[in-house]
Amino acid sequence: MDLLKVENLSKSFGALWAVNSVSFSVAEGEIVGLIGPNGSGKSTVFHLITGLLRANKGKISYQGKDITRFKPYQVSRSGIARTFQIVRPFPEMTTLKNVMVGRAFGSSSARSMHDTEDDARRLLDLTGLADKVSATAGHLGLVYRKKLELARALATKPRLLLLDEVMAGLNPTEMMETVEFLKGLRNTGVTMIVVEHVIKALFSMTDRVVVLNAGEKIAEGTPHEISRNEEVIKVYLGDYEHA
Amino acid sequence: MVERKKGLVLAAAVIVALALVPFFTVREYVFSILCMLFLYVTLSQSWNILGGYTGQINVGQAAFFGMGALVARLLWVAGVPFYLSILAGGLGSVILAIIIGLPALKLRGHYFAIGTLAVATIAQITVGNILPGISFLPAQQMATYSLIPRYYVFLIIMAAALAVIYFTVNSRVGLGMEATRDDEEAAQMVGVNTFKYKMIAFLISSFFAGLAGGGFAYFNASYYWYLPFTLMWCFEPILIVFIGGVGSFLGPVIGSVCYVLLKELFALTLGEANLLIFGIVFILTILFFPKGVIGLPAKLRQLFYRRGNVVGR
Amino acid sequence: MEFAQYITYGVINGSLYALVAIGLALIMGIMGIFNIAQGSLAMIAAYGSVLFFQHMKIDPFVSLALTLPGMFLVGVFMYLTMFMSMNKFDPGQKLRNSMLVSFGLVLIMETLATILWTANERTVTTAYSGTVMALGDLRIPYTGIATIILAIVVIFGLHFFLKHTTFGKSIWAVSQDHDCAMLMGINVKRTTLVAFGLGIALSAFAGAVVSLHTVSPAVGIDWTNKALILIVLAGVGSINGILFAGLLLGIVEALGVYLVGVHYTGVVGLLIFIIVLMLRPQGLFVRKAGV
Ligand SMILES: Nc1ncnc2c1ncn2[C@@H]1O[C@H](COP(=O)(O)OP(=O)(O)OP(=O)(O)O)[C@@H](O)[C@H]1O
Ligand SMILES: [Mg+2]
Repeated sequence: MDLLKVENLSKSFGALWAVNSVSFSVAEGEIVGLIGPNGSGKSTVFHLITGLLRANKGKISYQGKDITRFKPYQVSRSGIARTFQIVRPFPEMTTLKNVMVGRAFGSSSARSMHDTEDDARRLLDLTGLADKVSATAGHLGLVYRKKLELARALATKPRLLLLDEVMAGLNPTEMMETVEFLKGLRNTGVTMIVVEHVIKALFSMTDRVVVLNAGEKIAEGTPHEISRNEEVIKVYLGDYEHA
Repeated sequence: MVERKKGLVLAAAVIVALALVPFFTVREYVFSILCMLFLYVTLSQSWNILGGYTGQINVGQAAFFGMGALVARLLWVAGVPFYLSILAGGLGSVILAIIIGLPALKLRGHYFAIGTLAVATIAQITVGNILPGISFLPAQQMATYSLIPRYYVFLIIMAAALAVIYFTVNSRVGLGMEATRDDEEAAQMVGVNTFKYKMIAFLISSFFAGLAGGGFAYFNASYYWYLPFTLMWCFEPILIVFIGGVGSFLGPVIGSVCYVLLKELFALTLGEANLLIFGIVFILTILFFPKGVIGLPAKLRQLFYRRGNVVGR
Repeated sequence: MEFAQYITYGVINGSLYALVAIGLALIMGIMGIFNIAQGSLAMIAAYGSVLFFQHMKIDPFVSLALTLPGMFLVGVFMYLTMFMSMNKFDPGQKLRNSMLVSFGLVLIMETLATILWTANERTVTTAYSGTVMALGDLRIPYTGIATIILAIVVIFGLHFFLKHTTFGKSIWAVSQDHDCAMLMGINVKRTTLVAFGLGIALSAFAGAVVSLHTVSPAVGIDWTNKALILIVLAGVGSINGILFAGLLLGIVEALGVYLVGVHYTGVVGLLIFIIVLMLRPQGLFVRKAGV
């Protein structure tokens, strides 16, 4: 069964339809890529799924439940987590506390503050932030803040994880590490939708790719199919091959 | 963890020591200074859980302080036992908080500040209109007036406020509050119902502000009914919290000690102009030392390092 | 007194509220600076009018020629010393810090006014003070008529200035998109400085009118309170809406006085504030804002 199903999702900002009648679904255990040129509506799709924005039209179901009108914290509690394209850790809090918030709330909260802290430390180890435990999040460098945002999202124990350009700004080695990390994560049962402009890295881990252009879905298929799709090459991939 | 236990033991020891003060001195001056200190610790700590930990700036704390004073005084003077009157005062503040919080905390930005300022100015004027006179204690209560029970009332209120707020901010609830302060959307994104945590903070805050007001009503033999609603009671808790260190547990305590001492000093030497000094100190703090006394060591270190770097190059 | 008379006073009061609020609305809507001290600045300006009248017999409406530039300079000073440094913050933090700093200013101005001019109420008594225009049974004070006209002229004038003059448009552009305005060749620093000074200068209009009623150091925060309620009623960013919001508040308060008595005037204002927050938080006079 589909874990997430999006039907005819539409969102306008004034006269601009940032997302226009987009439909797709994600099966349990999949990694689905979401690509498209700048401004094609990828982040907006994430905002709509997570309840940060209200759709004008369309329906979002998760585990068969209609979550279209859920508030963001209800979305999180039902097991969906995300990262922001422009990272947003809690700036005044320590790295540890940032992750503890995720662990204390999210879809299944730890039993005590003691457990919350232990789990948070474990996650910080896992994401390579062990030596930043007591740093103030607002003072961390971008790469660390990206890692922190991922750790915080994971701390909520999601079944579906939405990643918005987590690899932008990383060097090739870090990118490879991230790809491996995400593949490992999938093996623990986390389903993912990944927005990424680094096509090579993205195609190396996705089962399926959805392509948006100007708010509309123009293609969907395996990475292999997508890389040969005329229209996709024309509006999007072309630029990147040459870039 | 161990350090936290040590801190708690130390705090308990300080409270016990304060409870013993009346056995060692009978000087009224000492008592009244300490009463004011306890009052300011309670009031500023109650502001801090909402403003410092949850990021909701209440510019009308006087409304909640005043409400507690008004209800407690009315009931007490009418013959209700004092401990019931003061609790009723706390409850009155909580009800006021619910009326303001339900609409204003749902929204972001300036709405909460405007709502609290509105309720404070309006409360002051309305109370001044309806009860223009002075509230005197009835003769028989006046005859038995003594500072010692007042001292203990303030001490108990302060100890309760410190304990409740300490355990709240160090719990899961506290994590929710701090996340709400730092970034509401991001907090919601990890499952925090931010409205709920703002409301919890506001209820705790208004309850203890109301109790502090009740203490004020118990302490003063006679005062204008509107006095606990005046602008100063809005300003003082904010000033104290920022001087001490906003969003830290010890900040309001340190701030209160500084404030009470400085106020004594200035009031003697400067008269009315002392408010000018506090206004200026406050603005300088916000502009240049946003973390207050608590943040001073880090700030100095930062300055020092920057110097060092320049020299190093 | 009869009903229509109450409403007339409501309209006059409402116009005055709008005059206090307009500068606050400009600074908040365009610069994201939350200036709680606006009412206190109007109070200071009103003392200016009182002093010019007492010592030099200059009519408050004439002394605007002095208080307006005076308040403009005060605004420039405030901006350069305190508010300019807040541009580096994100909008939420800027709002918070400007609010706190201006709260400190309220205390400073109130204390200063008390020290300089005592806590007593003062007023300007001109030849036309107390004279009224009789319209049937209705009696309208000439100062009231002047207040209404001044509010209309100032608010629509400001609206026109922002929408139809080059400098006004550049203020608007800076508020919409800082970087874009810079690319268009607008001197952003100077524009924001002048816009802030202008917002503070507007308090002189309110001050002139206030001086014809009564001034005391404590009224500042009360005026600010009314102004803030207007901003919520009108919706942040609305300039013309301020006048309508002022009239609405003034009239509703007058109805309150008519129905429940003068003691509860403020409570009526608080009630409509809460009702608007619950039902239409984006304000009454703006179209529904996007996210
Ligand atoms: N809050 C908003 N108000 C108005 N327009 C918006 C808003 N958010 C996004 N848009 C517009 O909607 C369109 C889609 O934006 P979105 O951020 O979803 O694109 P994206 O595919 O994530 O692009 P990128 O690859 O640059 O991250 C863009 O034209 C953008 O300018
Ligand atoms: Mg995007």
